[in-house]
Amino acid sequence: MSVAILDARQWQQTVDLRTGRKIEAESPVVDMVRGLLSRHPFPGDCEPGSNTWVVDTALDLVDKYDPSFAFLTLARQYYCSRYTVMTAQERRDMIAEAFAEADRFARESGFLTILVGTGGMTKALTPIDLSTLDGLGVSSNWSARYAGLYGLSDRDREALAAEPRLERVASRDEVLALFGGGSEDGKRLPEYLAVSKEGYHFKNTSLRRLIMIPSRNIHIPVSADVGAIDSVTDIRGRVLSLLADRKVALVVLEGVGREDFMAPHTVCRNGEGWYCYEPTDAWYLALTSGHHCIFEHNGGYCYFKDDNENKHYPFSGYFTEMPTGTIGLDYPGRSISVGNRSMFMHVATGCDICCECFARNLYNQGCMAVLFRQDKA
Amino acid sequence: MQCPYCERRCRLENGSYGFCRMYEAVDGEIRERFPDKWCSYDVSRVESVPFYHAYPGSRSLVIGTASCNFDCRYCSNAYIAKEDPAGMQDVMVDIKPDNMIQLARKYGCHNIVFNINEPTVSLPSLQRLSAAAKAAGLPMGCLTNGYTTPEAAEQLGDIFSFLNISLKGLSPDFCRRYLGIPDSEPVIRTIRQLAKRCHVEVATPVIESENDHELDQMADILADINPEIPWHAFRLLPTHKMTGQKYPNITALNDKLEALRKRLPHIYFHNFIGSEWVDTHCPDCGAVVITRFSLGCGGDKLDQYLADGDRCPSCGRRLNLLGTKVDWNSKEMAL
Repeated sequence: MSVAILDARQWQQTVDLRTGRKIEAESPVVDMVRGLLSRHPFPGDCEPGSNTWVVDTALDLVDKYDPSFAFLTLARQYYCSRYTVMTAQERRDMIAEAFAEADRFARESGFLTILVGTGGMTKALTPIDLSTLDGLGVSSNWSARYAGLYGLSDRDREALAAEPRLERVASRDEVLALFGGGSEDGKRLPEYLAVSKEGYHFKNTSLRRLIMIPSRNIHIPVSADVGAIDSVTDIRGRVLSLLADRKVALVVLEGVGREDFMAPHTVCRNGEGWYCYEPTDAWYLALTSGHHCIFEHNGGYCYFKDDNENKHYPFSGYFTEMPTGTIGLDYPGRSISVGNRSMFMHVATGCDICCECFARNLYNQGCMAVLFRQDKA
Repeated sequence: MQCPYCERRCRLENGSYGFCRMYEAVDGEIRERFPDKWCSYDVSRVESVPFYHAYPGSRSLVIGTASCNFDCRYCSNAYIAKEDPAGMQDVMVDIKPDNMIQLARKYGCHNIVFNINEPTVSLPSLQRLSAAAKAAGLPMGCLTNGYTTPEAAEQLGDIFSFLNISLKGLSPDFCRRYLGIPDSEPVIRTIRQLAKRCHVEVATPVIESENDHELDQMADILADINPEIPWHAFRLLPTHKMTGQKYPNITALNDKLEALRKRLPHIYFHNFIGSEWVDTHCPDCGAVVITRFSLGCGGDKLDQYLADGDRCPSCGRRLNLLGTKVDWNSKEMAL
């Protein structure tokens, strides 16, 4: 059983991650993590201390748990770029602060720290509204450029063909062919995947005005320490190799592209062909599992269909099962993840102890820690 | 001319707008400035709104427009409710009533809920949508601050069959400082008025040391209206002008609420992750009849519906419910 500890500030609840129901759980690791969450209240996604919270919490966890692998996400600059108007200099300063925090972690922990940027950002242009289709258009909060289309009429096809803000409308078969899938792999793919041109985005469920969105990031930057690397899916293998003889941290810098990267770096492909990732569940799983997972995780699936009362993992967003084959689950040594990108920490990393902000749409409810393993010596 | 919709009763002259900036006087008529313009449409669980006693487990199409007639210091949707609505039109979508009904159907929704901003600022659009929804057999619900004229409250009752009305505070001092209104009497009047003809739940954001001392008096008011009214006490989430304020102490607030549960059996305490006080108990025998998960800002969720239709499975007592359990996927359309 995986234990989740919810911390709403001055008040904690312990639940079974799968059922979501309250449990009595007592162990040295549970006690240690309860104390950790109490000591580090999350300041909020866009607050100045957001990335500092990640590093402070991670260093505390390194001290108490002594892991060999750490996964960190620093996302403040992504949230702020997405929702607040900043000058180019303000944005550069914020990115520099994220690099400084990553450097602080490396310095104080002694871990070899591999940095990965999720890609640059660009100004958000007018949203594309799919509500006028006869068929159904599905776009999610965090995927700007991709939307799923279902039940298109002839009129819809004509309208989409005439829409100048679209880069392409790819059929399910085209997506399957691009990623080498068979027909049995397409159950969670939309009938068509609409892709907007850079800067444009689909009207989605976010109520906040978007200021910047991910660019069309065909390539993303990675620390030069990993050597030449071809694809985002190759990073995991390189990290596991490095872990053979030293402690390693993989640090994700959200919203940071090649042009913003403030450390020696190389670049790698960030998808396949015309498909390039945004910083979504699909990207995280490509990074941590070493495989493209867009058949299951894409911006166009009707996630809400799964959301009945029989769905497990109520504190894991739209995930109905915990992904397998993630780096934390496969690495035999002790592992931790800490980040301010909420549930992606536990669903995508599978580390022994995952600590994340419980903030949704910037509403700061506190923190959550998930304990997948307590039995590693 | 005087705006007839909210209790502010703003004077609208040619070229001027009232507090909410959503209505104008044109040729001797009060008109909406942005009819059929919506800020969002999305699928949600009805428990997330929150409605705990209306169509449990159902799938709602949640919608909103722009602006509000309150000025809450802790507004959680200030980027919609407090922005100039004219400046938001580039990101609003124009959806006519029939198209909105089609959207609800395509998304497999069982009802439509207006919950992002205040419905009173968009009543004509909602009246048109309601006519289409009634024709399609889709119930409509809303979250409202209840600060309406009696006439507009009647219109709310015509449009919506289920409402969650916020009783945010009682004292004039609190109302002025935290909500930007002179007093709460119109809100209480609206709750009384609508509870007679619609399903009503009540929500109260609780601010430690500011309005928690009013909970006892609020309980008296609600018990007088309907002792079985579902009452949602929200732990304040410090946002907007209250960012930086400390989070209220959960244990201390629940201790106060626990004493009130003897008078009002359906008091819930949530708006934070993992709350233990989101289940429904039979008022007579105390049996658990509905369990839920509290996900805070992520929205609450039905866990188990243990009632036998609308009755307690243990003692058979009828429960205060609008509709009974709805299967989440029961209106899925084949597209």
